[in-house]
Amino acid sequence: MFSFFINFEKIYILRFPLCFIKMENSKPRLTEGKLRTVEKRLVDVLTKMGYLKGGSRKASEITAHIYVNQEVTQKILRKLTGYSLGTISIALQALEKQGVVRKHSHPDTREYHYELDGTISEIKFRSLIDVQRYFSQIKEFLREIEAKLSRPDLSEKKGYENIRRLLDEMKVLIPAYEWVMQRFQTFASDVEAKREV
Amino acid sequence: MTSSKAVQDPNGFDPEIRRIEQEIVGFFAEKSPEFTGRHPIIATVLTYFDIRRSLTQEDLQKLTGFSAGTISKSVRQLVDMNVITKETIPGTHKHIYRMEKLPFTSARYFFMAERLIEEMEKELKEMKETLDNEAEEMKGVKGYQKIYTTVTQLLKLISTMPMLMALIDEEIGKFMKENK
Repeated sequence: MFSFFINFEKIYILRFPLCFIKMENSKPRLTEGKLRTVEKRLVDVLTKMGYLKGGSRKASEITAHIYVNQEVTQKILRKLTGYSLGTISIALQALEKQGVVRKHSHPDTREYHYELDGTISEIKFRSLIDVQRYFSQIKEFLREIEAKLSRPDLSEKKGYENIRRLLDEMKVLIPAYEWVMQRFQTFASDVEAKREV
Repeated sequence: MTSSKAVQDPNGFDPEIRRIEQEIVGFFAEKSPEFTGRHPIIATVLTYFDIRRSLTQEDLQKLTGFSAGTISKSVRQLVDMNVITKETIPGTHKHIYRMEKLPFTSARYFFMAERLIEEMEKELKEMKETLDNEAEEMKGVKGYQKIYTTVTQLLKLISTMPMLMALIDEEIGKFMKENK
């Protein structure tokens, strides 16, 4: 009975400082937990945005982590997403091509670091300018299709009307979008100038 | 990305027209990922809808050569994107997917549905509130500043969306009327 008491006391004495340390640590851990919850929600929102634009879920999630972390390596992305290095590498190549990230080799480790190429607004604004380049490529391509479709014997063939309708609709829509993009660029620059003032 | 195997066309398209169609699909499957970030499979399936408007999953499998699973995932994503609708073919368990009009005739497609933007804005505002309220404690935690910057930049970007959507709807409407 006595020995049990001593043991109990020992346990108590031993445990008390641990409990104290635990209480001291619990607040920072709670704060860290809250921040990680916000981070996860942010990644989810960005992933959803990418998916609803037509990106794959994996590529959208990888992009979301880059937006949040601003600079990453393939290894970091693998740790964050659990995706294979192959999947990550393909997604990064596409993002480089789209002008979302730029890569540089770390002088000490020689490992590639992928850095967000500007703020989110700057990247999105640049993509609007790229859309104009896309439109001019579409117009040029559709001119070639138009020429192929102009052969008189094709107009009676099944499916001709479907291609014709697409070409006619594009002919109206593309100039309309070009005009909107020009106007929006002026609007966005004005807003930015006002913010700076 | 498209299969070149000669298969029976689900809508009976003439082989010459089919070749032109494949050229169009190939163009968008290559260019759209580069400029819009859209996945090549999604770009392929979407272009078939741009041209044919109504298709079943079976039709899409024949046209693209993609597996049943890939097609099923693609049409689900296009339904989520609000680009096509899903209907049951009466008297069967099969579904037909329809595109009513070209998706970019409305800004609601181009920048996702208004409701979705509102939801995202609400969620981002909640995040910012947490980050502001807990700033004292959180500032010392790794990643706080980056998360804060991303949230505020996204909120700034989302605030310009309604104006851009209104501008697109107004201008596209005008162009459509003038060219009718």
